[in-house]
This record gives sequence, structure tokens and C-alpha cells, in this order.
Amino acid sequence: MLDNYLPIFTLILIAVCFAIGSTVFSGLIGQKKPSEVKLAPYECGMPLVGTARERFSVKFYIIAMLFIVFDIEVVFMYPWAVMFKRLGMFGFVEMGVFILILLVGYIYVWKKGALEWE
Amino acid sequence: MENLVQTALNNVNMWAIMPSIILVCFAMGLLLINAFLPRGATKPAMWISLIGLAVTAFSVISGWGSPQYGFSDAVALDNFATFFNVTFLIAAAMTILMSDDYIRREGYPIGEYYPLILFTTAGAMWMASGTDMMTIFLGLEVMSISLYVLAGFFRGDVRSNEAGLKYFLLGAFSTGFLLYGIALIYGVTGSTRLSEIGVFLNAHPSLLSNPMTLAGIMLLSIGFLFKIAAAPFHMWTPDVYEGAPTPITAFMSAGPKAAAFAAFLRIMEYCFFSLKPEWTAVLWALAVLTMIIGNVIAISQTNVKRMLAYSSIAHAGYALVGMVAANEIGYSAILFYMLAYTFMNIGAFAILVLAGKKGEENLTLEGLSGFGYKRPLLGVAFTICLFSLMGIPPTAGFAGKFYIFAGAVKAGYIWLAIIGVLNSAVSLYYYLRVMVYMYFREAEEDYSWVKVPVSVVVSIVIALVGIFYLGIIPGAVMDLARLAIF
Amino acid sequence: MSDLLLSLALILVKLGLIFGVILGMAAYLVLAERKILGRMQLRHGPNRLGPFGLIQPMADVIKLITKEDFMPDQADKWLFLFAPGLTALTALLSFVVVPFAPPLTIFGRELPMVVCDLNIGLLYFLGISSLGVYGVVIGGWASNSKYSLLGAMRSIGQLLSYELAMGLALIPVVLSAKSFSLTDVVMSQADWPNLLKHPVAFLIFLVSIAAESKRTPFDMPEAENEIVGGFHTEYSGMRFGLFFVGEYINLVIIGSMLTVLFLGGWHGPLLPPIVWFAIKVLFVAFCFIWARGTMPRLRYDQLLHLGWKVLIPLALLNLLVTAAVLLAIG
Repeated sequence: MLDNYLPIFTLILIAVCFAIGSTVFSGLIGQKKPSEVKLAPYECGMPLVGTARERFSVKFYIIAMLFIVFDIEVVFMYPWAVMFKRLGMFGFVEMGVFILILLVGYIYVWKKGALEWE
Repeated sequence: MENLVQTALNNVNMWAIMPSIILVCFAMGLLLINAFLPRGATKPAMWISLIGLAVTAFSVISGWGSPQYGFSDAVALDNFATFFNVTFLIAAAMTILMSDDYIRREGYPIGEYYPLILFTTAGAMWMASGTDMMTIFLGLEVMSISLYVLAGFFRGDVRSNEAGLKYFLLGAFSTGFLLYGIALIYGVTGSTRLSEIGVFLNAHPSLLSNPMTLAGIMLLSIGFLFKIAAAPFHMWTPDVYEGAPTPITAFMSAGPKAAAFAAFLRIMEYCFFSLKPEWTAVLWALAVLTMIIGNVIAISQTNVKRMLAYSSIAHAGYALVGMVAANEIGYSAILFYMLAYTFMNIGAFAILVLAGKKGEENLTLEGLSGFGYKRPLLGVAFTICLFSLMGIPPTAGFAGKFYIFAGAVKAGYIWLAIIGVLNSAVSLYYYLRVMVYMYFREAEEDYSWVKVPVSVVVSIVIALVGIFYLGIIPGAVMDLARLAIF
Repeated sequence: MSDLLLSLALILVKLGLIFGVILGMAAYLVLAERKILGRMQLRHGPNRLGPFGLIQPMADVIKLITKEDFMPDQADKWLFLFAPGLTALTALLSFVVVPFAPPLTIFGRELPMVVCDLNIGLLYFLGISSLGVYGVVIGGWASNSKYSLLGAMRSIGQLLSYELAMGLALIPVVLSAKSFSLTDVVMSQADWPNLLKHPVAFLIFLVSIAAESKRTPFDMPEAENEIVGGFHTEYSGMRFGLFFVGEYINLVIIGSMLTVLFLGGWHGPLLPPIVWFAIKVLFVAFCFIWARGTMPRLRYDQLLHLGWKVLIPLALLNLLVTAAVLLAIG
């Protein structure tokens, strides 16, 4: 079973070597002329204003939370899809109920304005 | 493969979860209706949730005496579950009845309040009827997560926020313990089905002293002892109970606590009956500790809500005595006591809900000075609830404590019973002190702000009827409780 | 023992081949994109190095490698170094489950034409592709630059929103393939490609995967004229190169995935399977470049609106209808 994944591990090794190798190689042969301005974060050539470690809109968090909620629901559908033929009508009805429950949450979230981006 | 699917399909039995399906359908419908109602329109939500509880109660009660098993024995809607389900439904109904004016007064007329209570109740029902670790865990999570939100429901209020966050963090932690315990037990026995675990452990006595088994039982118990607020896992209780909205405090100390007892009882009895002498010995110590800590610390409280929180710890201790007794009368006494406690505790909180001003700054002993003769009817009702909490005949509290201690004596735990009775005597002090303030102090205010809505009155009346019914003719319910245990 | 050695050798050969082919394809897709975009804008595109500029990718690589390799002094050093590698790695990893031809029988051994035919290939693809967002977010955060952070935040919102629709759109495919193995998925399309069987799912998947690829018209995370370069603003030299390579490998992956899941994989008349596969992949890649040449960028609110309010309900509905139809025809 595990030898199925052998190529993947090998590929990870190769890819890691590729990534490290290419950057290290480039670091070795590239020139090095650092200056204060060059090492500052880019802000269209203007002097820096504050740092980037700032708070950002709560909307992103809401998106992330909704994603977790709904993605877990979607994950449940995969095993169902594979077993669909065997589960037959029962499986279909159950999934219908499941999606209905999902829809209740979805409509609620929509109605509460969590999907608005203003 | 084909067979597995067929077996699984054949084992589905929707009747085994019908009450909770009904309840959850109502809760979800209510959630949707709320989303479309304007903010502040909570009255329809209240009525719909009450109807939902009534329909569920009908479905629950009609299942008495005809147990349903479903989902390959992961769910059992037996008498035990039915008895507890009725307790939860009563607790939820009383809570909802006293809530509407309260959340309006405190400035949070948000309709989601009611569906959350319904979800909590549904989770509690799964816990009571779960016969598989996973079902129980599922119920526990549904119940707890809704409760975390409810505890922090007043999101502009610092104490409510504190309550929600504290409950959430500690609750998540204890859930971790519980889950780890389940994992260890599964590792030892290869099953999450309660009866299979019990049979397996009984057939392999060498496993009983296996450190993994013991650690599993320990972690499992910690998870439940946290939920029932037994010492030394009670630290969260006072802050959470004080900060949470008052009706939610009332509900939390009755419904979910009973649910944790139900699941704990079932797990201990189904899975670990082979280790009964050991775990009753541990619970003996915990019961004593819980009673003493709850009662002694309650003495020094000046905030009545906080005092009731500590007293609820003490009451969990009394109920644990029934588990230590571990005989028929002890177990059925727990069922009885949880029902009685639901009536008397929620009744007491219902009056606190009325007595509080916005923000509830006046729920101290001083703040209740003269409440008894300025508002005589409410005063009498509060007094009756407190008498019941003390365990004075002819109230439900007396009958409950009587059965609990009778069970302990019958099982040979004379000293435990004596400690319990002594603790009850200690509790007289802080309950009576409330009455002293209510009746023998000069009233600083005339309590004219106290409005008495009909729904709260209904809640209080239910409590009083329950208290007297269980107190005067306890035999009827006690017989049912006897039928309900395993 | 020799069996193990043989399979190991096979794995290495396959990996080496695929590694080379993908990197080569990625390099030449860059050229192709510049050429095609140039033609669409009535320019020639690169044409100095070699005939039709065919040596241009080599020159690009040499340029990237010899560039000065510096890091902003406020950056989070290790994360900054880690992010581009992660992007390239996750992009490369997706390809191992893509079956590009029917199983071949050599020396009595059945040789699947896929690096590893996982029985959960589809889930593997979804898992790895959602890991891709980490490279972007870590890079954007570690740069400690406002543009990078904006790009990272935009990309995480975008990727999360569209992953749902993408996941839902794949379920009809699983329904008709009855398996998560991508080889089985292709096999199930021997008669009709899924494009015709599940047209709605195809559309949803197309839009979602275009959004996942962060390419026009969904290139808010790196919108040059709003937030400079988005998450890779602060990257230069070979580290930028890795992001770049990752992006173009992703284009190949998207082409392969669309081919395998909806366009019938290697199935096709006359030509040998692998040629059909290559044609389909390249056609999809061309379409994506085409879209970049002709489509304006969406606004961010439009993007989320499309993802959450259109695609997800549509995908759910499609899922139910598909299941009902499948049930009805048995």
C-alpha cells in the first residue's frame, strides 16, 4: 500500500533539491550589492509609512470560517458519491436531507449578510 | 462490502432519534424564520420554540415503555433516555418562558437565542440516548457549542464575554480530555460501542488493570466531571454562571448538567461495571469534595447568582452520591434528583430574572433587601424554591436528597450519607441568609420596576407545581425513575 | 528484490521524464504566452533568440539565476525563503496522479501511464492544490510589505471561496466514475466525455479552477496595476523564478485536470492516446492565455459574489439533479 506513495516521496525529494539547489546556485553566482533603499519594502519609491503588520478586514476571517464550515460538508459528499450506486434511493434521500440542512445554513448566512463584500 | 452497506442500511431506525429530529427541524426552521424577521421580533420565535418543545415532548413521552434501538446500537431511546429527555425539555421550556422579557430588558432581543436553546436541548438528548462513544461525543459537542454561544450571548457585556470565552476555552480543553479517553478505551477494546466495551473488558480481566484502560477511564471521567462541575473541575462554574445571561445560567445548571450525568452514568454502568469498586471509591472522594467545596464557598458569596452557582456545584455533589451508591435506588435517585433540581433551580432563577434591574447590578444580598414583603407573591415563590434547594419537606429537594442518601445507606456508605446531611445543614446558612435579607431588612427600594410578565409566571408556576408534586407524592415519579434505569 | 529494483528504476525514469517534460512545458508556456499575447496586441513578442525566439526561455532562466538575490531587511527570513519553494513543490506534486495514456503492457507487466495511480487520486489532487495557497500566503506575509500582504489576503479569500465550488463540481464526476482514481475517471469517459455528461459541472469547474490559478480574469492577488505584484512584490531572482515556474506548472496541471476530468483524457479517434492528451492540455492552456489576452479583471466583490452566491448554489443544485438523473436511469 505504502509503496504506492513511494513516487510521491521521491518527487518531494527531487523537488526540494530543485528548489534549494536553484536558489542556492543563484545566490552563489549572483552579484551582491545591497543598499539600504534596496532592502526596504517596496512602496512605489516613496519613504515607508508604517509597517505591513497591520490588522485587516474581518471579512477575510468570515470567509475563512464559512469556508471551514462548508468545506467539511463537501468532504462528506465524496464518500457518498463513490458509494452512490450501492446506497441507492436511501443514499439519495439522505444526501437530499443533508444538502437541505446545508442550505438552511447557507440561506441563514446569506440573509445575515456574511456574504456581502462592501 | 455489499453486506456491510446492507447491514448498515438495515440498522437505521429513525424512530430512535425521532424526538431530536423533530426538535432540530424546529430549531432550523426557527433559524431561517429569524433571518427573515426584523431585528427585535422575538415573540414569534419564542412561541415557535415552545411549540417545538411541546411536539418533541409528545414524541418523547409516547415512546415511554417501548424502547427503540437504531444505527447498529449507537442510539437507544429507552426509558432511561426518555426520562432524561423529559427533564431537558422541561428545563428548556421553563428557560424559554422566562427569557423573552429578560433579553429585551438587557437589550439583546436577538431571535437566535431560541434556536440555540433548542440545539442545546437536542444535543443533550443525544447524550442521554447515545450508546456509542461517538454519539455521546456528538451530542456533547452540539450541546456545548450552542452553550458557549449562549453564555456569551450579551456580546456588549464584559462579564458575559468572559463567561463565553472561559466556558469555551475550558470546555474545549475538557472535550480534549474526553476524546483522548475515548481514544484510549477504543485502543484497548477496539470498539466505541458501550455494550461491546463492557463485554470485552469483562471477558479480559487482565485488561482491567492495564494502565491504558485506567488512563482512559480517568480522562473520560474528567471530561464528564468537568461538565457536571464536580470538584476539582468546578473552577469555571462560578464565573460562567455569574456572567452568562440569567436564564442561560438556570438552564446550564439543570439541563446540560443532567445530560452529562446521563451519559456519565450510562458509560460507567455499560462499559466499566467490572471496575465498579474502583470507580465508586474515586467518586466517593470526589462527591465529598464537591459537596464541601460547593457549600463552603457558597457561604461567603454576596451575589445571589454566584451563590446559586456554588450551590449548583454542591448539588452536583449530592447527585454524585447516588452514583457512588451504584444501586437501583441510587441511580433512580439521580434521575429523580435531576428532575427535582430542574424545577427548584430554574424556579429560583426565574425570580432572580424578575428581581434584577437592567445590568443586574442589584442581585446581591443587599440588593434584595425587603424584596419579600414589597413583592410578597414573588417572595413566597422564591422562598419555596430556596426551601426546596435546602431540602426541607415537603418539597422536591427533600424527597430527592432522601432517596439519594437512602441509596448510599443501602449500599453501605453510612459516612457518605452523614457527610451529605451535614453539608445540607451547612447549606441552610446561605439559603436562609437570602430570606433574612428578603424579609427582615428595611427595603431600600420599592421594587416598582419589577414587571411580572405572564410567561415568567407560567414558568414559576411550573416550578412550584413540580416542587410540590415531587415533594408530596414522590413515589409516582420515583417509580418511573426505577423503571428508567438499566 | 529485482522486482523492487525494477519498480524503483521505473519510478525514477517516470519521474525524471515528467519532471523534465513539465519544466520544459512550463518554460515554453511562458514563451507561448508572450508570443500569443504579443500577436493579440499586434506585436511580435520575443523573436531575437533563435528562430521564433525559441531559445528565449533559456535566456530567461540564465537571467533569473544571475540576478542579485536579496531579501527585504524587515522580512521574516525563514518563511520568506520557504514560500517560493513550497509553491513550486505543491505545483509539481499535483502532477503525479495525472494519467496521460492508457496502461501499457511491456514485458508482461502492466505499466500504468501515470506516476502513481492512487486510488484516491482525485482527493490527492484537491488536497495538494489547496496546499498551494500556503506558499502564496506565507510569501505575502513574510515579505512584510503592504502590497504583498494585500495580495496574500486577496488570494486566500479567493482560493477559499472557489475551492468549495470546485469540490462540489467534482462530485458529479465521481458519481459517474464511482471511483476516486483518475484512471477510472478517464475510463468512465470512453463513450462520452464528462463535458457532455455534466456540462454545468464543467462550467463551474472551469470558472473555479481559473480562479484557483490566479490568472486573468481572476488575478486580483497579483493585480499589477493595483497592488504592484501582489504577494511576490518583494521577490527577485530565482526565488521569483520559483513562484513563476509554479504558476506555469499550475497552468499545465489545470490543463491536465480539465482534460482528465471533463475532456475525456486520452480518448480520441485516430491519433495515439498520448497525442490526444497533449493536444487537449495545450488547447486548454491556449484558452487560458487567450482569456488573459481578452478579458478584463473582475472586482473583488464581484469575484466573491460569483463564487459564493452563484457557483455554490448552482453546484449544489447540479449535484442533486445529477444524482436524481443517475438514480432514475439506474
